Amino acid sequence: MNSRVPEVPVEIVMIEDDEGHARLIEKNIRRAGVNNPIKPFGNGTDALRFLFGADGSGVVNKGRPLLVLLDLNLPDMTGIDILKKVKTNEHLKRVPVVVLTTTDDAVEIQRCYDFGCNVYITKPVNYDNFANAIRQLGLFFSVIQVPSPN
Amino acid sequence: MAKERTPLPNLQPILLGVGFALLVVISAATVYLVDRAATDTQKLTQTLSVEDKLSNVLLAVRRAESSQRGYLFTDNSNYLKEFYAGEPEARQIVEELRALTRDNPARQATLDRVTKELDAKFQEMSETVTLNQRGEADAARRLVLSDAGRAITEDLRKTVDAAIIDEARLAAERGAQSRQTSRMLLYATLASAALIVLIGAMSVLLVQRSARQRETAQKELETTNANLERIVEYRTADLTEANEEIQRFAYIVSHDLRSPLVNIMGFTSELEALRKDIFEQVAKLAADLAALNAQAAEASNAGALEQLGSDFDEAIRFIKTSIGNMDRLINAVLRLSREGRRDFQPEPVDMNALLTAIADTVTHRAVELGASIEVGALPGIETDRLAVEQIFANLVDNALKYGREGEPLQIQIAGRANASHATYEVHDNGRGIDPADHARVFELFRRSGPQDRPGEGIGLAHVRALVRRLGGTMALRSALGQGSTFTVTLPRRWAPGTRSRT
Repeated sequence: MNSRVPEVPVEIVMIEDDEGHARLIEKNIRRAGVNNPIKPFGNGTDALRFLFGADGSGVVNKGRPLLVLLDLNLPDMTGIDILKKVKTNEHLKRVPVVVLTTTDDAVEIQRCYDFGCNVYITKPVNYDNFANAIRQLGLFFSVIQVPSPN
Repeated sequence: MAKERTPLPNLQPILLGVGFALLVVISAATVYLVDRAATDTQKLTQTLSVEDKLSNVLLAVRRAESSQRGYLFTDNSNYLKEFYAGEPEARQIVEELRALTRDNPARQATLDRVTKELDAKFQEMSETVTLNQRGEADAARRLVLSDAGRAITEDLRKTVDAAIIDEARLAAERGAQSRQTSRMLLYATLASAALIVLIGAMSVLLVQRSARQRETAQKELETTNANLERIVEYRTADLTEANEEIQRFAYIVSHDLRSPLVNIMGFTSELEALRKDIFEQVAKLAADLAALNAQAAEASNAGALEQLGSDFDEAIRFIKTSIGNMDRLINAVLRLSREGRRDFQPEPVDMNALLTAIADTVTHRAVELGASIEVGALPGIETDRLAVEQIFANLVDNALKYGREGEPLQIQIAGRANASHATYEVHDNGRGIDPADHARVFELFRRSGPQDRPGEGIGLAHVRALVRRLGGTMALRSALGQGSTFTVTLPRRWAPGTRSRT
């Protein structure tokens, strides 16, 4: 860890419309020993407003260490839209985005990586696998260095 | 097009036929006239010949007379040569005249008279000659001097002159007739020439017309072919779209039905883990109780037990919610597929009455929202009443649901029709739909904009499926903050074959 790591802890922005999934993800992240604050959003509109601010420019989150956990299947828009917006925004493009979805469609996964998704995790119906994946994600959070936007 | 053109091709061959018939008639007339002209000429020649011969009769008589006079005067029998030749010649000519004027009774009568007069004349002259030959020259001279012979000659001349004048009149008549015939022949020839030109022109016209018609037919065929190709294109596009929809549907089913399943499995596993904790806790408690049997210990464990209880409750709650969700989604899918299998019963639908009824059922809500619903003049159609009712009830409901803050909601329903289709528009001035979401809103379980109204994202998917089953199409015109217009185009008569997709 170098000295330029921000003192503010990395905030996890969880965009997941299914409350249960959100709770399960949170539980497993906590179990992995990750205690970073989690900000949950149940739909894309609210999440975009948080990420990009009222003016939609994203300048509000400039320099803020964020990590986005993104479900692709939202009621009001597709997660791909959010991914695209984040990855093409001047201030947010370096924010790591973890796509977490029930879709295991190869084309969809490929598309996410094409748009700049950093990690893609399928939510398996098998809970042990799911919990395992989330815990590994938690471990991953604990080791990754979220880059400073500048 | 065909209706306007049919009489002409029928009329032209008729005209052509009439023309040819006329040509035949005129040709026959020409032949007749040529024949008549020949006859006329022959008759005229005959008349002139009769005239000539009549003069010749007189001439023969005069020659015989002068020969007789000469003989009587000179007593030289050489003079008698002409006299003897005169009578047969005159009679010969009269016979010829009889033959020539067989068709003319008046002339025959004249000739009878001429014959009698000739008889008388030649008898008189023969008498004088005979007297002279006997040496009775005086008696002969007296006979001549009696002027009887001259009177007969005079009669003969008068008769012949009258006949000649009559023949001249006849000749004039026949000449006029001949000229008339010639003129008619000229006219007939001119007429047939004109007719030939006309028929020729008509034939050229007909050939041109039929060539043009062939060309037009060819073009029409080409257009039809092009149309067919376009229809095939449309059908293919429809099929592709339907296929895509099935795929999307499969995706949605696998995706959305799996989500609650993830929860059910997840929280059940959580419950299992909790149960282990609970048992451990209970076991520990039991051990503690057994070991200490003290009231203080019980109190210290109460907090942990409470926490476990609430975790347990939470897990149970989520399982229940997820099961409920799954139930809802599966039911929605079932409803849609059931709706898709329902048999349509086409009947005449008064769209004005139907939309007014729909507007009436939402009056209460509209009044609460301060919204106005305006139903314009709508064309009626023959289709499944229930399906159309569901389509427009959904659209009106949507329009009412998504109004704009601080703007009195206005909903207008308008309609128009062409020969085959009726188009209805449900227009509102509500919050509108982002053009990027225009395709999404018609998908099952998908919604657009702020999620501040109850709903499951089924309505428009259902509406579009119904419209397609009715053989119609749907379109959406909208932009954020500028209201929405849903356009539904339906065939004016629905028949079981008119589904717009397979």
